[in-house]
Amino acid sequence: MVATNGPRTDIAVVGWAQTPMVRRTDLSETQLLLRVITAALEPLGLTRADIDFTCLGSCDYITGQAFSFVSNLDAIGAWPPKRDSHVEMDGAWALYEAWLRLQEGDIEIAVVTGSGRSSTGDPTLIYPMEMDPFYLAPLGADPLTFAALQARALIQAGITDERAMAEVAARSRRDARSNPDAQVKGDADIDTLLAGEYVRAPLRRHDLPPITDGAAAMVLATGDRARKLRERPAFITGFDHRTECHNPGYRDLTDSPSTRIAAEAAGLGTSPVEVAELQAAFTHEEILLRRVLDLGGEVAVNRSGGALASNPIMATGLARIGYAANHVFGGGKRALAHSTSGPCLQQNLVCILEEDA
Amino acid sequence: MSTEPAAIVGVGQTHHKSRRHDVSFGGLVREAAFRALDDAHMTFADIDAVVIGKAPDLFEGVMKPELYLSDALGAVGKPMFRVHTAGSVGGTTAIVAASHVQARKHERVLAVAFEKQSEGNAQFALGSGRGASLGAGGAFAPFIRAYIERSGAPEHIGWKVAVKDRQNALKNPYAHLRIPDISIEKVKESPMMWEPLRYLESCPSSDGACAVVLTNEAGGTAAAADGRPPAWIIGASSRSEPPSFPGRDPVRPAACVQAAWDVYEQAGITNPRQQIDMAELYVPFSWHEAIWLEGHDIAAAGEGWRMIDDDETALTGSFPVNASGGVLSSNPIGASGLLRFAEAANQVRGAAGEHQVAGAKVALAMAYGANSQYFSTWVVASSLQPFD
Amino acid sequence: MTRFVENSIVFPYKRSLGPVIGAFMTGLTEQRILGIRSGDQVIVPPLEWDPQTGAELDPDGMVEVGPAGTVESWTWVPAPSEQHPLGHPFAFAFIRLDGASTPLLHAVDTGAPDALRVGARVAPRWRGSRVGHIGDIIAFVPGEQPEVDGPDSGPAEAPVTMMDYNASITYRNPVPPVLDRLREASRDQRIIGQRCPVCERVYSGGRGYCPIDAVELGEEQDVDLPHTGTITNFTIVTPVQYPGQTETEPFARVFVLLDGTDVILPYQPVVELPVGEVRVGKRVAAAWAPPNDDIDDAGAMGGAYGHLIGWIPSGEPDVEDPDLVNRIF
Repeated sequence: MVATNGPRTDIAVVGWAQTPMVRRTDLSETQLLLRVITAALEPLGLTRADIDFTCLGSCDYITGQAFSFVSNLDAIGAWPPKRDSHVEMDGAWALYEAWLRLQEGDIEIAVVTGSGRSSTGDPTLIYPMEMDPFYLAPLGADPLTFAALQARALIQAGITDERAMAEVAARSRRDARSNPDAQVKGDADIDTLLAGEYVRAPLRRHDLPPITDGAAAMVLATGDRARKLRERPAFITGFDHRTECHNPGYRDLTDSPSTRIAAEAAGLGTSPVEVAELQAAFTHEEILLRRVLDLGGEVAVNRSGGALASNPIMATGLARIGYAANHVFGGGKRALAHSTSGPCLQQNLVCILEEDA
Repeated sequence: MSTEPAAIVGVGQTHHKSRRHDVSFGGLVREAAFRALDDAHMTFADIDAVVIGKAPDLFEGVMKPELYLSDALGAVGKPMFRVHTAGSVGGTTAIVAASHVQARKHERVLAVAFEKQSEGNAQFALGSGRGASLGAGGAFAPFIRAYIERSGAPEHIGWKVAVKDRQNALKNPYAHLRIPDISIEKVKESPMMWEPLRYLESCPSSDGACAVVLTNEAGGTAAAADGRPPAWIIGASSRSEPPSFPGRDPVRPAACVQAAWDVYEQAGITNPRQQIDMAELYVPFSWHEAIWLEGHDIAAAGEGWRMIDDDETALTGSFPVNASGGVLSSNPIGASGLLRFAEAANQVRGAAGEHQVAGAKVALAMAYGANSQYFSTWVVASSLQPFD
Repeated sequence: MTRFVENSIVFPYKRSLGPVIGAFMTGLTEQRILGIRSGDQVIVPPLEWDPQTGAELDPDGMVEVGPAGTVESWTWVPAPSEQHPLGHPFAFAFIRLDGASTPLLHAVDTGAPDALRVGARVAPRWRGSRVGHIGDIIAFVPGEQPEVDGPDSGPAEAPVTMMDYNASITYRNPVPPVLDRLREASRDQRIIGQRCPVCERVYSGGRGYCPIDAVELGEEQDVDLPHTGTITNFTIVTPVQYPGQTETEPFARVFVLLDGTDVILPYQPVVELPVGEVRVGKRVAAAWAPPNDDIDDAGAMGGAYGHLIGWIPSGEPDVEDPDLVNRIF
């Protein structure tokens, strides 16, 4: 499916930043973006005037206002006007668009963002609106319900059990202790977790992500410029995303074929990765994704604490790519980042970052 | 540039109406997609990736509809990408889809844009559910007053555009508004909605969708060899500027001018009036035709209205604008931009039917959004080097 | 203390159903559940297309399934939301109706989670009065026999082609401190702007940042703005009716250039100025609500002007300046 000669320009992540990940902020989305874009640019010695292209990712229904992204233009320094775009998707897809745009070779630096304040609405009332508008949304069928049904499918198939899921939660919280940006962290006793009430059986509170307000911004640069901007840029050597049919009832919930196709197209199998950052908002999703991506025990998964530690909707996926880039910045060779959208991992994105282009 | 050339080899659209109650949300989008695929001699199985655009999700009350529409558009196992840049979104959808090809990521991409306005209410959604919503007309009327005062244009210019576009629409079987007895008198006697804009100088509210199949140089060349001329993209750009600051000029927005010149530079255009044969400009309110003729330096500042007065922008004029009937005749908001881009492509393919501009080889399309802040522009041509 | 404003997005959407969903909904009014054939599969609930390939499915290939079926998977909802089909704890379940190849998601009403298991047989409890909506099935209940809740008003008189979707979401937004500061100042009849320390442009409306220099503006950047100005441009809106519309008569929104500044207050209401007398160059002065009046926040976006309720003619002669009309921002 990929064009035979493929993308040609070397493109790297050269820096990124995120706001503090909190249960609720009083800052507007635009303010979050003002701060986080500055924080991403400053260490690189760049200003907004250096940005050739911007692509923002956000969601009107999270913000509660039509055209909510328009005021976010105030954060990018779009005067004189910028080459710019916006996706109603996680910032990881904004990154994908910028990556395509930089391939055209006429520009060098792009900034992408993901932003959302989930604290202002009730997710159980908002999220049914992304479901089938005839059969599912009118029932208030929320992704939490579908996550529970997927977890049960995985348990029935013998792929996981509630204890293994609790272990994922405990490990996330433990790993998040060393991440100053994480929201949910600490030591958790598995049996204590398993003694908790079900929120949606078989999911307990620890199987779910927190509600998080936050934003992330990432700076991309083409090959030579990237090498001048920082030591060890994280080169994007594979990037792909795929979708599945929408209604989870029509899918085999014990598998994630779109993840597998995206990983294949991104070249995951050509050599091993040392770390993986997976956008698994529910514990069982990490177990499924790990299995589908064939990540062995030697791969460190979600060392940041993952989406279970902080889940800034519309920025969660972009942050995964940021953490994977951190691995390369810090001396690692190859890292995988994953993002997702929709019920039961409907859409999946895979980005491979490497020390060499 | 080291990019892969991109070509449009299929165009499809729905019949646009106030209420397409005969189809579902998914059925509407598929109607356009199948027409584009048929035109391209392809099926879903031939498509590598889908790019979808629409205006705010609040219009239909379906959040992130690319999820629901993934299977409706045959995208299972493929990339499905969702763009949203306000009113310009249809244009940006085309440009992002082209980027998939130009970056050599995919060979055949389906771009789809739609709006099913009848499911909700745009005035409601524009005000996010609050009272005293200005609507788009209320927001833009001051810009138009500024243009009229600045250029000294007579008031009948707006009426002329309103009549011309509705007459063109009569030649377009897909157009929404069909007013056979449209006349200057009828426009000027229609109710004042947003002073100085009258009802018939304003766009309708439509249900509709548009789809375009894009492919690479090999695909475009193969279609041409098969007797199906493609439209080659010879320049494309999207630019944005902030909502408001002292000194911002919404009558000649810098983002519009820059996007135009980005495109002209890529295309090798130095004299747009001479080198471009026709344009599909996003004109939701009649006066925007004059405003955008100037914003794209097709006419000198303050002179755009004279081209209208002299009938230069009529279908048989020297520089036809909105031969399709434009946004004034069909306005499925999210699709309106892609319709401009698709109609421009059809013109240089010689596939525009009764509203074909004779001999069109190079066509400009543009769309804009929000408070005249988001601009998408492309120029398509019947060959990759139309000026050689 | 952070102050919050609530904003509800409430809208009665009307969806057209098309041939397949329409037939399904019509079937529901007849207490029948329909699927659609795709190859040797029967897709339930039915789509116009095959969910894997997107291939068009033939509406003539619709077949009745159920009414009873088997629970394939379920999850318990201990605290239902206002959007859920039942007001008391229930299960959401994938139910494979007899004859179907795919499961239908719906509520199962068993009273308690321990009454439910994978493999359980369930049948629909129909609403007595059915309109052609997935909610015509109140829930599924254990057993093989469908039930009807209340008097049965029978099938729809005509095929169902449309469906209502009533969405209501309430957002609770924190009010940025700058807006509260401006609002408080407006109680004392002050209009506050903010001067960017980099470019020196002054912004109204409590934006809190300069879009040119992308810097935040704090209290130290506040400046008092004059209370008189000139209308530079305007719009007169003939209101269109929609749910939530508050206006019935044409109303004006004007752009006011404040005296001695470069600051425009955009889309301002007018007071004691008939729409016919609104014009470019008209001199106006701020009109204030009494200090003790409660002011309408109209959400975080609309609260910046507080007690400034609009602009009233000052009685001064008009300003003649051809450039005025260009001042919109």
